[in-house]
Amino acid sequence: MPPSSPPSARLLKIGVLASAVLMLAALGLFALSLNGRNHDDGDVRLVVTAQGCEPRELSVPAGETRFSIVNDSQRAIEWEILDGVMVLEERENIAPDLHQPLTATLAAGDYAMTCGLLSNPHGTLHVTANDAAPSIALSRQDFIAPLAEYKVYLTLQTRRLVEAAEALHQSIAAGELDAARTAYCEARLIDQRLAMATGLYSDLDERLNARADYFAEREQDPQFVGFHRLARGLFDAGSTGGLTPIAAQLLEDARTLGERLRHQSIPPAQLANGSARVLKAWHAHAIDSKTLNAQELLDLQGLTAGAEKIVTLLAPLLERQAPDALEGLQAQLARLQQDLPEQSNTVSGAKGSSDIDRDALLADTQALADTLDSLDRTLALNG
Amino acid sequence: MSPRSLLFAASAFGLMSLQTPAQADVNPEALVEPVAEYKLYVLDNLDQFVSHTEKFTQAIEAGDLERAQVLYAPTRVYYERIEPIAELFADLDASIDAREDDYENGVEDPDFTGFHRLEYGLFKEQTTQGFVPYAKRLMTDVNDLESRVRDLTFPPAQVVGGAAALMEEVAATKVSGEEDRYSHTDLWDFQGNVDGSQKIFELFKPLVAEEDPAFVDRVEKNFAEVEDTLAHYRREADNPEAGFVSYEKVSQTDRRAFVGPVTVLAEDLATLRGKLGL
Repeated sequence: MPPSSPPSARLLKIGVLASAVLMLAALGLFALSLNGRNHDDGDVRLVVTAQGCEPRELSVPAGETRFSIVNDSQRAIEWEILDGVMVLEERENIAPDLHQPLTATLAAGDYAMTCGLLSNPHGTLHVTANDAAPSIALSRQDFIAPLAEYKVYLTLQTRRLVEAAEALHQSIAAGELDAARTAYCEARLIDQRLAMATGLYSDLDERLNARADYFAEREQDPQFVGFHRLARGLFDAGSTGGLTPIAAQLLEDARTLGERLRHQSIPPAQLANGSARVLKAWHAHAIDSKTLNAQELLDLQGLTAGAEKIVTLLAPLLERQAPDALEGLQAQLARLQQDLPEQSNTVSGAKGSSDIDRDALLADTQALADTLDSLDRTLALNG
Repeated sequence: MSPRSLLFAASAFGLMSLQTPAQADVNPEALVEPVAEYKLYVLDNLDQFVSHTEKFTQAIEAGDLERAQVLYAPTRVYYERIEPIAELFADLDASIDAREDDYENGVEDPDFTGFHRLEYGLFKEQTTQGFVPYAKRLMTDVNDLESRVRDLTFPPAQVVGGAAALMEEVAATKVSGEEDRYSHTDLWDFQGNVDGSQKIFELFKPLVAEEDPAFVDRVEKNFAEVEDTLAHYRREADNPEAGFVSYEKVSQTDRRAFVGPVTVLAEDLATLRGKLGL
């Protein structure tokens, strides 16, 4: 190592002095910022007294607002911003004579504020539309909540599917045709709600949902199993004969589906896109058949319920990004739901194709699928 | 060399003052599964809450004071666990769990309903008489809560923030014994809050463990300390179902012993949202 020359004492002194000056300057800035925080004009101040909020009404522009809540009552309070009965933001345990900040990002609209005691009147918070605020593009954070909720939905529905498949297997094994038909409808309705997610696994999708047309020997093909195979026996042949192993396989596949979905991550773009895909697949098949039988109607009912869940999940995001698109989407969904027979009728098979407006059903299915298909563009999602 | 050391000092100082809160490196998609798992936990607890509330309110309707007293605390536990979500519904939180001091006229206030109204009857007035309407109302509210939570898309920030909120609540308003002032079953509520907070922490822990192992250690140590103190007051050491002794029997020293770890937990857990980029 080369010997380093000792630093000159003078330069060292300057160095120390300079850092001291810098440090003082920084401390000064820090003190200023503390000061500013207490008396920041940007904060919206609200005082809670023993009687309620002062002022009773506040108006702030849409976007981020920092509130400073002052407790001027004798007991600890909490302060909440309510949208209807839902708490959007809250600051709990503000001790008497103290104040606490709360930063909230609010969309335009009227909200209520709780003001100390529950017996005190609520205050009103007007949030005014703010054209100056740039519309915020959706971030990946915005999809956490809908994707998590979808995961919960899949978990709960697969649990129900397994229960329904158990009942189906039992009644088939016992040779009870009527009970088996009812159990079939119950299970199939759930299966179709899950169609988009099941489509992620080609093996399970084929064993559960493939139609006879996809097999070389059609109905006679030993690979032809799952719901369509059971429907063939229960509704066309009117017998449970030979169906027990198929029902047992279906139950096992339902269990496997549940296990796989539990840790499956679903890309955000799949939500709308995948629902569109399964509706289109139904449409493509239905358009080739002259009449729609009870099973096809049941399938569409399940698919529509699955799509409804997706619409509910994406609604808050669409409301922010494209409220008009949301309105159109909800209207199309409602139209399709109206076309469909009541669920109870379909389950018993009482309401058949004769009561159904086939053309309307096909057109409305197509329309909903097309709109769902365009949502990823609307939400600026890809992949 | 000297100018260099000066430069070094100055830049080190500059770096110091630039220090910003740790940036979250957590991939947002990684939060999906724990949020979903948390909702499943809440739904399981809600199922239990509904069935326990059924038994509790039936005891009141049957005029069985002793049974109603016994069932009061074990029923509330499920609410205390899921409070971060339950209290998102302001109307039901008030009608199910408000305390008399939330109302200007206290127990005289006709709007004062729910658990603490029943607690007042069962433990202060020692009667079920006249409390059947409150029992019926509680059952309706709990069923209502169950169906609303089922339909709720859980807000991730509130879920993660719930871990700290539960501990803050214990520190600020529960250690004092004011929550269950007539039944003195405060330790059951404590345990419920600690369970609920710990569940959230456990679910999100894998996402922060690598980046901040010291944080995880500290939180786990403090949870263990709280659990230890609670364990002293179990009626039966090996049977959590048996619950806790009366809060009146908890020494002042132990009451104070809760405050330390609970406060540190509340402060530490309050950083979880930031660490996860929420």
